[in-house]
Amino acid sequence: MIVAEKKPLAEIKKAVAPYNKLLILGCGTCVKTCFAGGPDEVATMASALRLAFKIDGKKIEVEEQTVERQCEDEFIQEAAPGVARNAAVLSLACGAGVQAIARRYGRTPVLPGVNTTFIGTLESQGVFTEECAGCGDCVLATFGGICPITRCSKKLLNGPCGGSRNGKCEVAPDIDCAWQLIIDRLKVLGQMSNLRTYIPPKDWRPSNAGGPRKLVREDLIV
Amino acid sequence: MFHCVDASSEVATLPLTVADSAEMRTVRLPCAAIVQDVYLLRAFEAGSDAVVVLTCAQGQCRYGDGNTRAEKRVGRVRSLLDEIGLGGRRLALFSITPQDKDACAQIVRDTLSNLDDIGLSPAAHNGSAPAKG
Repeated sequence: MIVAEKKPLAEIKKAVAPYNKLLILGCGTCVKTCFAGGPDEVATMASALRLAFKIDGKKIEVEEQTVERQCEDEFIQEAAPGVARNAAVLSLACGAGVQAIARRYGRTPVLPGVNTTFIGTLESQGVFTEECAGCGDCVLATFGGICPITRCSKKLLNGPCGGSRNGKCEVAPDIDCAWQLIIDRLKVLGQMSNLRTYIPPKDWRPSNAGGPRKLVREDLIV
Repeated sequence: MFHCVDASSEVATLPLTVADSAEMRTVRLPCAAIVQDVYLLRAFEAGSDAVVVLTCAQGQCRYGDGNTRAEKRVGRVRSLLDEIGLGGRRLALFSITPQDKDACAQIVRDTLSNLDDIGLSPAAHNGSAPAKG
């Protein structure tokens, strides 16, 4: 999932201050799963803003809505009446959702209510961990399903470095050494021979180093 | 006051002997863990000066860790109340031995006493009684 977290309320309050009618728009997919932008978080944000502005003596009308996915035009069309009734939209979706809303509703200011942080997994209840950098050229087959790009602090493809201590990274004691994990996993799989081949410097062009990426599936275009 | 029904089934009948003018509303919950962030915030929107969540004592939750979950949620909402400007001290959580009526009454008295210190909610009494803390 794409993991996000709520922006500081003071930052949000400053961004929405010019508007007296606000639609808070949630997304029912990734940000709902990571408790940043689903219907519960929309309701909490709405209540928090009403209280904060009431203390300031300012009236603000807040409308709440959550669509299934803000990154798909088909779903965000459902927000059209709500957008039309309000002066601005506070989106609790990831950056893609915010931009999709801004593109669809070009005359309405669209403001982000969360910081989009990473592509990750739910490691345990309440703990979200980055596991994919979206580099555009997946190498997980070589490394036993453990990504050195994302999970090694130095992004080493020919590791480990000398900073691994008792399975932990020298960068921080709470970071697992990705190369320890890779070696442990390859041993279990009987694929240690994968590491006998030198991995050349990574071609970063498929990543966002080559500019904004676009995937075109001709077979799906009608 | 949001209270687990197992912690106390008689909160609504507690006498408010310390302040005749105080008004208390109670919300019975099957477990304190069910209380959501927005329930607590809406209690302040509805005019509460203070909100209390009452849970069973550690180890006495019928559902195992409902009181721990409630405690963590209250901690998060207290931080949010600080961000809002209401002050997290307006929200408190207490754990009691189930059905300890005297403990409940003391919690009510302590909460009202705490209000003397922090003042009325500026969201409930906008402009008329600014908060002290």
